[in-house]
Amino acid sequence: MPVVELSYSSLQKLIGKASKKQIADSLPFLGLDIESEDKDLVRIEYSPNRPDYSTDFGIALGMQGLLGLKTGAIKLKIKKSKQYSITVKPDVSKVRPFVTGIVAKNGKIDDKTIKQLMAMQEDLHFGIGRKRKKSSIGIHDLDKIQFPLVYTTSDRKHKFTPLNSEKELSVDEILKTTEVGKDYGDLLANFSKVPLILDTNNKTVSFPPIINAAVTTVTTKTKNLFVEVTGINKADAEDMLSVVATILQSAGFSLESVQISGAKNTSPKLAERKMTVSPLLINQTLGLDLNTSKIVSSLKKSRLDATVKGKNIVCVIPAYRFDIFGPMDLVEEVALGYGIQNLEPTITPSQTLGQTNPISLELKSLSQTMIGLGYLEALNSSLTSKRVLYEMANREPKTIISVRDSKSQEHTILRDSILPGLLENLSKNIHESYPQKLFETGTVFSSENPISETINLSVVSAHQDANFTEIKSVLQSMLKTGFGLEITTKTTEHPTFEKGHCASVIIDNKTVGVIGEINSKIIENYKIRVPVVGFEISLSKSILKSL
Amino acid sequence: MSQVFHDIEKKIIASLKDNPKQTPENLEESTKLSPDQIRRGIEWLKLKELANVDESQTSLVSLGKNGKESLEKGLPERRLLELLKTKSKLSDLQKELGPVFGPAMGLARKNNWVEASADQITLKNPPDVLPGEKSLKQIGEQKLSADKLDSDDLSGLLRRPDFVVEEIVKTKQISLTDSAKSINLDASSGGIDVEAKVPEVFVARTHPLKDTIDEIREIFVTLGFSEIYGNMTQSSFWNFDALFTPQDHPARELQDTFYLDGISAKKIATPEQIKKVSESHKKNWRYQWDINEARKMVLRTHTTCVTIKHLAETKPDEARVFSLGRVFRNEKVSYKHLVEFNQIEGVVVGKDANLRNLMGIQREFYKRIGITKIKFWPTFFPYTEPSLQTMVYNERLGKWVELFGMGIFRPEVTKPLGITKPVLAWGGGIERIAMLKYGLDDVREFYNNNLNWLRSATKCQ
Repeated sequence: MPVVELSYSSLQKLIGKASKKQIADSLPFLGLDIESEDKDLVRIEYSPNRPDYSTDFGIALGMQGLLGLKTGAIKLKIKKSKQYSITVKPDVSKVRPFVTGIVAKNGKIDDKTIKQLMAMQEDLHFGIGRKRKKSSIGIHDLDKIQFPLVYTTSDRKHKFTPLNSEKELSVDEILKTTEVGKDYGDLLANFSKVPLILDTNNKTVSFPPIINAAVTTVTTKTKNLFVEVTGINKADAEDMLSVVATILQSAGFSLESVQISGAKNTSPKLAERKMTVSPLLINQTLGLDLNTSKIVSSLKKSRLDATVKGKNIVCVIPAYRFDIFGPMDLVEEVALGYGIQNLEPTITPSQTLGQTNPISLELKSLSQTMIGLGYLEALNSSLTSKRVLYEMANREPKTIISVRDSKSQEHTILRDSILPGLLENLSKNIHESYPQKLFETGTVFSSENPISETINLSVVSAHQDANFTEIKSVLQSMLKTGFGLEITTKTTEHPTFEKGHCASVIIDNKTVGVIGEINSKIIENYKIRVPVVGFEISLSKSILKSL
Repeated sequence: MSQVFHDIEKKIIASLKDNPKQTPENLEESTKLSPDQIRRGIEWLKLKELANVDESQTSLVSLGKNGKESLEKGLPERRLLELLKTKSKLSDLQKELGPVFGPAMGLARKNNWVEASADQITLKNPPDVLPGEKSLKQIGEQKLSADKLDSDDLSGLLRRPDFVVEEIVKTKQISLTDSAKSINLDASSGGIDVEAKVPEVFVARTHPLKDTIDEIREIFVTLGFSEIYGNMTQSSFWNFDALFTPQDHPARELQDTFYLDGISAKKIATPEQIKKVSESHKKNWRYQWDINEARKMVLRTHTTCVTIKHLAETKPDEARVFSLGRVFRNEKVSYKHLVEFNQIEGVVVGKDANLRNLMGIQREFYKRIGITKIKFWPTFFPYTEPSLQTMVYNERLGKWVELFGMGIFRPEVTKPLGITKPVLAWGGGIERIAMLKYGLDDVREFYNNNLNWLRSATKCQ
């Protein structure tokens, strides 16, 4: 989950009438985890469904509600303006069809605010924007732009000076040489023409979803802002804009509308929604018995508006709360407004009888039998490496099941055998006293339909006098005591075992595994200095009855 | 130091006081104890640091076939010299001595004991005792330590074929340590030294993490839950789509999820389930749902996929089930992250199931694993609403740590799968609980299989 750094003093200023302790104690009940604190600074983890919580302005709005200082929905006040407009050309329809925007005027903006706005922008890009694919934002210095604007496309030779650059670059150069160009260029890979926002003098304002022009850079001297959002879905673009508009308004900017016209586009509405929820659902879900006025006040503390209408509650949801899908989301808002700390846990007697899965029981009794025979239980990952599974154990892979792009070299393929992992364990413990006797039960994988999972048991015994007779005795006693089964063994060859000292394990005429003395070459591979014997069997239905 | 000695120890100490360096065999003879008693006694004294055991190698010699013959008839060169007192003709001597004539003659000429001209051999001035004769006699019929013989005299014999057989044996020399030398045996009692250190033996046992898993399973069963099983490899449909995680959600990407390379499932769910789930996605998340994305096989990122599949199949009005097993995350391995760990996950289905019940079950569960200081905070999960997390207080770390996540399955999850009653769900990592239990700061310890730790971790804490 994303993390943001805020300061208590600025939160205090924004919230009003709340002590630092009050704020710190209440943060978790807004759904915000405190990661770390350092005097005035606090690092907060917030949920990806609440991008408004990426700034102290957004948190202050929520906190005011929770503390009962200011409740009810935050209304966007947007002055209708004819001064600002964007015309959309049909040629962008194929690339990135939608654009929307807003103007924010007469605000104060310091370094900290710029940093927070940028952090919010990045989080919106990642979450709702799905890494800028669905929608992306550009925030500009309004006074550097000559309206009306046009949203159109251009070929890749088009040149302008991008943000953080001193000289003009072509679109192609931007995509090839800049960080953002390399990160997001793929989004435009299929198009010969790229989207651009141009001002009335044909000067580039923005190259969405990649980068803004340098000329519109927001600085501490900026008073007025222009925000544009482009995307492949109109509703997503407006959702994103509603968050930015709400935060800018609470940061002290006054909002003015931007007229959007042309292919498929219209001016944004950023309108509130209405949703009905029944007190019955709320009380049943939360296990409470709240009257309607308590429900309404709880919803208002969650900064929604609510009124009682007949038996139901009608909620007014501001545009930026697009995380609210349906009535159940409103139930959660009631719970938050009511205060999670005020919900007393209750326990109702179980209506059902509990039961351990029979496979778990059989595996547990198998473990106990192995322990009775003096074997220590080991646990290894099912994701392992070719080195451990095949190279070290001298095995030939059949079909390897690998995972894509693992961050760990040691965890790249699914195991088809447990024994190599146990040999690796012995190898890492050569300085510990002998005898070393280990067993492991676990899932192994093979590619079948599309993947089959079976449970195997593998056992190793390492000490100076380890030999075939010893390990066959262990296998035989384990199956006899644990499962009442008789086994036979028949000479076989296996690359992990010594030739002539290796057998297949047979139960009811079916081969279930292999047993023997580990090949001395392999013991050397693992740098083990004593003989090792072992076996691996598949715990099929003939052994575990409940499979 | 305790002055309690076993009779065996007393006898050994007494004997070593008389004769300070002895082999175990010597001690057997001097104390009249059995080899086993001597072995044990020496071991005890060694542990008490009263005896030194110096191991050394000695060579034991005995006569071989040619040596025995020489003992009886004299060395070949002795027999030659004797014969020369009466005979001098080469052919006579050859006839008399047979095959040993050659080597005997060689030696005699080399040492200048004889002079040969044409076929006549004459005696010059041999010494009274020939090299080797002394050792030959000393060894005689016995097996003798080589260091008791004149090594110059013996070395000649050793070089000759089958005269002397050499055997290297390891011997132990037992002696008393300085502190033992002052022991007054008369003052010690006849008991055994109950305070002495003894060697360590290692108990075979279940893996400590398995113990925690089993304990948790037991608690769930006693709370009325039944265990269900499911595969670790799952289609994206059950791992993500059925749980209302949109296909373009960042959490689905390669950096968080292990996708199985080039493997996708043919049959993932019933046509009805696929239709309803995809509709819910299209309506709420506004994107083009793609069945091929849902077919991609992943290593399950949570056990919730097992539970939801079970609920979709059984559609119960009333149920308490849990699943427990390994889950996978494509993260960098560190002291707090593993790519593969265990998760416990439980659900309660019932028409009256509510959030306070869910909190109540959590509180009871934690109480049973010994955690009493808990609180609940709101949080976010894509498939539950409302959602909470438990924070538990860790005395050792002196801070609140996050434990289980919980919530009520969203209607967007349950409705498309035909589940009509509320479903309370919660789950979390078992390693986290086990770390608190075993006081570990590094989660990797559970899978290192370090025998030192496995053999020493206390079973009950």
